[in-house]
Amino acid sequence: MKIEVKKNILASNDSIATANRELLEQNGVTMINLMASPGAGKTSVIIKAIEGAGDELNMAVIEGDIASEVDSLTIEAMDTTALQINTGGACHLTAAMISSALEHLDLAATDLIIIENVGNLVCPAEFDLGETARVMIASTAEGHDKPYKYPLIFKEVDMVLVNKIDLLPYCDFDMDRFRSIVAELNPGVEIIELSCTEGTGTGDWSRWLLKSAAPVSG
Amino acid sequence: MHEYAVTESILEIVQTEAEKAGGGQVESITVVIGELSTFVDDSIEFYFQALSQGTIAEGATLIFEKVEARAVCCECGMEFKPTNIYYSCPGCHSPVFEVKQGQELYIDNLEIN
Ligand SMILES: Nc1nc2c(ncn2[C@@H]2O[C@H](COP(=O)(O)OP(=O)(O)OP(=O)(O)O)[C@@H](O)[C@H]2O)c(=O)[nH]1
Ligand SMILES: [Mg+2]
Ligand SMILES: [Zn+2]
Repeated sequence: MKIEVKKNILASNDSIATANRELLEQNGVTMINLMASPGAGKTSVIIKAIEGAGDELNMAVIEGDIASEVDSLTIEAMDTTALQINTGGACHLTAAMISSALEHLDLAATDLIIIENVGNLVCPAEFDLGETARVMIASTAEGHDKPYKYPLIFKEVDMVLVNKIDLLPYCDFDMDRFRSIVAELNPGVEIIELSCTEGTGTGDWSRWLLKSAAPVSG
Repeated sequence: MHEYAVTESILEIVQTEAEKAGGGQVESITVVIGELSTFVDDSIEFYFQALSQGTIAEGATLIFEKVEARAVCCECGMEFKPTNIYYSCPGCHSPVFEVKQGQELYIDNLEIN
């Protein structure tokens, strides 16, 4: 007798993501999934987070990259735990990759994990990692019409950082247009204008992180 | 090492499914395995021999069905066959692509008697 089974031998991405989320909740850890195009400023934004909130929060960084480990070396140089995941060609991280990374962290002693997802605006948005919040970076040089081209990611995030505002005088990025397109796709989403090179807005970014990672009391 | 866990999981599914069907001895198990899945079938076979002893799957044949790898470039949309994990798009050389098939790992069917 033949029995049709059609069952995955490994658990699905969503069920692993749920397990990650439960594990983090048990340990009181906040995990941020940071997504952006290549070069938008993900690593720079993480560096600002460490500078601005590293004294108050025990942070760890998970670096997702297709092949290299330059970004995790940068973070380690700041005395912050950095784990490198090379996706080997895949354009996004999966919950299973994060699950293995979490095994290497002392979760009881960690308040905040920031994941630098692979530079890409399409695929990462489709994969739940078990994060507490999703943050994306749009940089001014990419143009204000990005949300039209990649609506899913703009709909899914809890926070939009507009980085490289120091370049506004040199590009045709229209902040009002951008804000209204984003508000249309994701009403009420918070937007912070940032310049990592000049430090503008980095205080707001650290305050948001401190608020998100604050231990829930009572 | 991972193959050990995978084999345990195969046996768990096989036992549940065979019992649901009223039991009996398992003759064969068809496992679909994508070209890009990192699991080695010889190694699953090896653990299977050991772990299936004394279960209803003891002596069953493991049949592996391979699925060819297919990917689509996230930059230019070209479809291609990634031959290894550090491949880049043959059209535009972008290293960023979405794997459409080739990462499968599931039990397709069982033969029991
Ligand atoms: N002008 C300007 N340049 C910036 C700003 N933030 C980052 N950069 C520069 O942009 C480049 C890319 O920044 P990263 O932080 O490495 O960007 P990333 O998103 O991590 O890049 P990948 O990991 O390679 O995808 C670097 O040369 C940074 O110095 C900013 O606010 N203004
Ligand atoms: Mg980076
Ligand atoms: Zn391409």
